[in-house]
Amino acid sequence: MRALFSRDHWPLWVVLVLIALALVLPAVLPWTYDQIDWDAVRAPAFSGSHIFGTDEIGRDRLARLAAGTRVTLMVAIAAALVSLIVGIAWGATAGWVGGKVDEAMMRFVDALYALPFMFIVILLMVIFGRSILLVFIGIGLVEWLTMARVVRGQVMALKQRPFILAAEAAGTPPLTIILKHVLPNIAGVALAYLMLTVPQVVMVESFLSFLGLGVQEPLTSLGILVKEGADDMDMTPLGLLLPGGLLVLLLVCLTIEGERLRDIYS
Amino acid sequence: MMALVARRLMTAIPTLLAIILASFFLMRLAPGGPFDGERPLPPETQAALQTAYGLDKPLWEQAWLYVSRLVQGDFGPSLVYRDFTVSELVAQGLPISLTLGGLAIILALLIGISAGLFAAVRAGKAADKTIMMLATVATALPTFVTGPALALLFGLWLGLLPVSGTSQGWSWLVMPVVALALPVSGAIAKLTRAGLATVLKQDHIRTARARGLPETKILFRHGLRPALVPVASYLGPAAAGLLTGAVVVETVFGLPGLGRYFVQGALNRDYPLVLGVVTLYAALIILFNLFADLIYGWLDPRMREG
Repeated sequence: MRALFSRDHWPLWVVLVLIALALVLPAVLPWTYDQIDWDAVRAPAFSGSHIFGTDEIGRDRLARLAAGTRVTLMVAIAAALVSLIVGIAWGATAGWVGGKVDEAMMRFVDALYALPFMFIVILLMVIFGRSILLVFIGIGLVEWLTMARVVRGQVMALKQRPFILAAEAAGTPPLTIILKHVLPNIAGVALAYLMLTVPQVVMVESFLSFLGLGVQEPLTSLGILVKEGADDMDMTPLGLLLPGGLLVLLLVCLTIEGERLRDIYS
Repeated sequence: MMALVARRLMTAIPTLLAIILASFFLMRLAPGGPFDGERPLPPETQAALQTAYGLDKPLWEQAWLYVSRLVQGDFGPSLVYRDFTVSELVAQGLPISLTLGGLAIILALLIGISAGLFAAVRAGKAADKTIMMLATVATALPTFVTGPALALLFGLWLGLLPVSGTSQGWSWLVMPVVALALPVSGAIAKLTRAGLATVLKQDHIRTARARGLPETKILFRHGLRPALVPVASYLGPAAAGLLTGAVVVETVFGLPGLGRYFVQGALNRDYPLVLGVVTLYAALIILFNLFADLIYGWLDPRMREG
């Protein structure tokens, strides 16, 4: 636990501080994310009570950034958990059963890897309406492939280890072995890849929102803020630079931290 | 080699068919139709349009008709751009998307491989760490942020490059291609660096060193080729990523490529247009994966049999 406070883990701390800000700021700011200040449309930074100014219809930038970060991270964490569950179930089954079943299941994963998945997700969004629930189910179902591959590899390696063979010889039912002996041993690797899935999901969610297919107004996300900023950048560049910079900072920190964890566990 | 190509094509056709059918039925589950306008059309007109485009037939029959026409190269008419067939729209959009994607992958390979090589030669030194950190940052740069940011800097502030459209010579290509290539080049740099680190520890490299071969020859003749195997296997996912990125870049820079037709078509329920674009995208990705497999075999002769 003390390792978490070492200097190497700065990206994790950046992310945690950003999360804390996203949670606390809406409660202390004088403006809400959808409240319009009619006296201050496109206000520059540090004008009155608007620290980062206001957007093209007079909404407080900082409040919108906090709200957007919150939605983006919420969707990301939920979707990453969906991918974790699907990936572990698929990968552990393939790795444990082995043989023909394993081959068929992994062929399926290979085939899905090669598909233009983003386009199927876009179709899903268009077809079933743009609910936030669907956004993360859709994304989670796309992002489980790597998790399945990694878990399968780990399970196959574990299966040969003496303590698993001993449990089998003692007549322990397979499901108990998987739940009590296999899964705890792959938790570290799974956590590392979960960490790497989060930035992927953030990317997909923002991409969809940018195209107008993800999170819907009046709710906001970092992708929507980038889109709004890009549309108005000739008037107020800050509107693009703030959410864009924040998004990149989040993605970079999550990726660095995830890769570090992955290198530790594999 | 021919056997590999033949076997891949055998699996490619059912895959493509599955994608086409899946998208076909998904599209039809959607509420709303292509003829919903600002003002509702009279029911007779609605019915006449449905009949004219064959939308009143049973779904399976429509799917069958679609596929059998597709085999003959006929993508059908666009339902929203009324005077155009999907083939005509695609013929306009495809060259733009292919140019963007092709140039982006070439640029990404150039930057990525040279950066990875440079870092591997200086393994453990400050230059190595800096390059690898930059590569990580590059992989985390979404095109929908870099695209507008580049447009803001080079287009609006410095006035060096056009912000939208395809008019002036080749300069309109610079920013879209760079925005597309950046994340891919970061990933390629990391893969090259990791691949070289493994290869340079192997016996045949030590033998080459012991025989006193010049370091550059060792690196380029004996080191780089096996080290690029992971890069080759990344090319398939990279192509899929580039096509998705192209949708954003085409929207940001106002380029009339396939991606814009796809988004517009999906929002307008222009069934044949969306299906046509998805089919093309899937075919392109499958083709590119095959190409990547061939490169794979060239880089690592052991793979040719499997």
